[in-house]
Amino acid sequence: MRDEQSRSIRVSHAFLLLFCACALVAAAIGAVSGNSFYLRLATEALILAGLALSVDLLLGYTGALSLGQALYFGVGAYVSALVLLQTASFWLAMSAAGAASLLSAFIGGLIANRVRAVYFTLITLGLSQVIGKVVYNTRELGASDGIIGIPVIDIGIGGWSVSAADPTGFFLVVLVFIVILYGALAYLLETPFGRVLIALRSNEKRVPFLGYSVWRARMIAYVLAGVVAGLSGALYPMLRGFVSPELMSFSMSSNAVVAVLLGGAGTLVGALYGSVLLVVIKSIIGSWTEHHLIVIGALFIWSILFFPRGLMGMIIPYFLKRPSEEQSTVQVPSNVSLSGEAK
Amino acid sequence: MNNTPIMKIEGLGISFGGLKAVDDVSFDVDRNQVKTVIGPNGAGKSTLFNLISGALRPRSGRVLIDGAVLNGKSAGQIKAHGLSRSFQITNLFFDLTVRENLRLAAQYLEPARHAWLPIKRSARAASKVDELLSRFILTVKADELAGSLSHGEQRRLEIAVCLASEPKVLLLDEPTQGMSHGDTEDTKELIRGLTDSVTVLLIEHDVGLVMDISDSIVVMHQGKKLAEGTPASVRQNADVQAAYFGSV
Amino acid sequence: MELSDYIQFVLMPQVINGLALGIAVTLVALGLTIIFGLLDVINMSHGEFYAIGAFGAISLGALGLNFWVMLALVPLLMAPMGVLAERVLIKRVFNSKDRHVATLLVTLGLSLILEDVLRLVYGPNTHRLDAPISGASEFFGVLVPNYRLLLILVGVGVICAVSFVTYRTRLGAMVRAAAYDRSMTSSLGIPVDWVYAGTFAVGVSLAGLAGVLLAPLYSVFPTMGRDFILLAFSVVIVGGMGSIVGAVIAGLALTQVQALASLVISPVWTDPIVFSAMVIFLMFRPQGLFGRLGHA
Repeated sequence: MRDEQSRSIRVSHAFLLLFCACALVAAAIGAVSGNSFYLRLATEALILAGLALSVDLLLGYTGALSLGQALYFGVGAYVSALVLLQTASFWLAMSAAGAASLLSAFIGGLIANRVRAVYFTLITLGLSQVIGKVVYNTRELGASDGIIGIPVIDIGIGGWSVSAADPTGFFLVVLVFIVILYGALAYLLETPFGRVLIALRSNEKRVPFLGYSVWRARMIAYVLAGVVAGLSGALYPMLRGFVSPELMSFSMSSNAVVAVLLGGAGTLVGALYGSVLLVVIKSIIGSWTEHHLIVIGALFIWSILFFPRGLMGMIIPYFLKRPSEEQSTVQVPSNVSLSGEAK
Repeated sequence: MNNTPIMKIEGLGISFGGLKAVDDVSFDVDRNQVKTVIGPNGAGKSTLFNLISGALRPRSGRVLIDGAVLNGKSAGQIKAHGLSRSFQITNLFFDLTVRENLRLAAQYLEPARHAWLPIKRSARAASKVDELLSRFILTVKADELAGSLSHGEQRRLEIAVCLASEPKVLLLDEPTQGMSHGDTEDTKELIRGLTDSVTVLLIEHDVGLVMDISDSIVVMHQGKKLAEGTPASVRQNADVQAAYFGSV
Repeated sequence: MELSDYIQFVLMPQVINGLALGIAVTLVALGLTIIFGLLDVINMSHGEFYAIGAFGAISLGALGLNFWVMLALVPLLMAPMGVLAERVLIKRVFNSKDRHVATLLVTLGLSLILEDVLRLVYGPNTHRLDAPISGASEFFGVLVPNYRLLLILVGVGVICAVSFVTYRTRLGAMVRAAAYDRSMTSSLGIPVDWVYAGTFAVGVSLAGLAGVLLAPLYSVFPTMGRDFILLAFSVVIVGGMGSIVGAVIAGLALTQVQALASLVISPVWTDPIVFSAMVIFLMFRPQGLFGRLGHA
């Protein structure tokens, strides 16, 4: 028999397939028309979707809002850039970025997981600001200009090789990467450990009485989220040829949070749709006026007030048939309610 | 057949400010029995439970299960020794299904590495869930959210969740609180039926229920143990009568 | 350089500068901590209200208004903005399961809008405002710029006024009661909704006032709120969320640390130091130095 969470994830998989299908169509159009600008923009949207997945793992599942995931995204990006400047190896850059973000997320987790709820959020914000400013001030890392001149690399898998300069090819590589990330997280959520994370969001106080260590679960989730962010960030210099402290900024972190909430926290696939939505809005509004933040801010507020479950959060339950058709007496949880405390 | 007491409470005590909330309380709990702690409000019953379950650290005394000392240990360690407690204020995962509530608790039975494999592989936990669903008459509601259950059903689920880890001793804190008469009767039967696999220590206010299902009763008054014995002997105990009805 | 010269010409001026900034930071932090302490609301748009105050001064100054008039007028004009924000946005998420995070998110969205509106109206470039008074006065051989002196006096006055009203007037008691127990206070006939809206308005007006005060000293640009809010949050955390005393002490202390540290190390490192203080407090003493206001 399938329980509700499992069925929900299956619907999510279906929407992932839809997402991929659209992406492939977009890639085909891009390849044929020879327009690299939009393909690169789409690739960037996918990379940001990786950061959004990292936010959703914490927010939508553990119930912890991190306003500093961009820190690990930036760590991954910088490490990747530094490696690529020495050796033009995709796998080396990714491994190094993964290791660096694992380590820094572990340290960050030790710091942040001492506290819960809004204090956790503020610590993650503070951490990313401290490190961000340190990077900004460090001349060896390019200070405010960042590191430029990252060489174009070839990505070799088995017998195939794709050049990062090839818009369509690299787009597909990143798409595959995101699908793998999604797959790994989706697998995790269907394991008992993943379900403990969901239990944390539901009622953190009860969890220790079931025999689980809350701290351990939160640490593992935090480190995983950091690695997801770091690996996504590692792709950035391959796409754009540079990295800058802006990649660690509060803007970056908050954009990811906006993407997750618009797309639907706690749905995994919502992070992907939300990121694309955000990039699309930015470029559409951006073509008329520079002031896309007003639109995004307004959309964000409207979403929180009236559609707290986000796009996918509303669509997915529509596909699930509840055993009893009558209204349940309890409020089906808004994914914005996050402290996990049963009041 | 092991006839030694499964749990020993020895001289437990704790004070808040100058007030002795629990004062040198000792008793044994025999295997597979239902023992109830009763007493007027403020007698210290909930505090006693908190001391036993590890929520509070006692100033004096010990708690032992099968010879192993429990006090000072963490919630996880206490659970490992076989103690499981329910809550007076229902504390379920309201936005998860009944089945998931039970599965989370039953996962305790599985080896650690199963935590990283798909849920399907945790067969023992799954069968435990089915067993509990049928025993507690919750099968029909298995895929409902815990928060949508009636109060009585939630209290039943609360007990079921505590049983999922196959504890040796089950601490029930006012399990029938707020229940309708019908639900209370059902719960009585349920608790009576539990003793084949577990020992039950409970706090209750419903004196009728207590008299019906207890093998042994501990009466507390102002933090001290006032009396202990079978329901019949406690009913006739003059001190107990005085404590409940006062010396007005 | 001789020690006395160092003190007179390097250290003390830096201390005064730090003090002036500190008073302004304290005003902003005061607003933030009042909003948290009394309303239990995290206001991520607080920095933008600070920026609005500064830009308000620029605009009114361009209209030829006297600085003193602006000092009073800008916060007054901002109060209705605060009321509007509270009624339209904050009130709606007030009763959600996790008020802190919901208000944080909603005000985050507001901050995006406000910042972009400022950019829209005033352009991305920096503006400057002339100080209303110039020159310096001498105190014990130390030259103190007159405007900074004025800023300190005005700031101290406002802080004292806020403390006085909060703790020693009936109005303040009403506000604290509404924070402590909403339904009880409401049943006493006090219009709790307006108390809440008013409190938020006072909070953001304080930020706006600080914006006006600092406008002649620092450049004014649309993203000025962003960095400032971090500093404000650091002060509020270190001082204790909801504590007026904490905001004052932490506000002055942290800015002094910043000012003095920049004498020995490059000023760009003072920000990470202050934010690290915030992180450390969150790790070991999240309630800050002092307790909470409404729930004392």
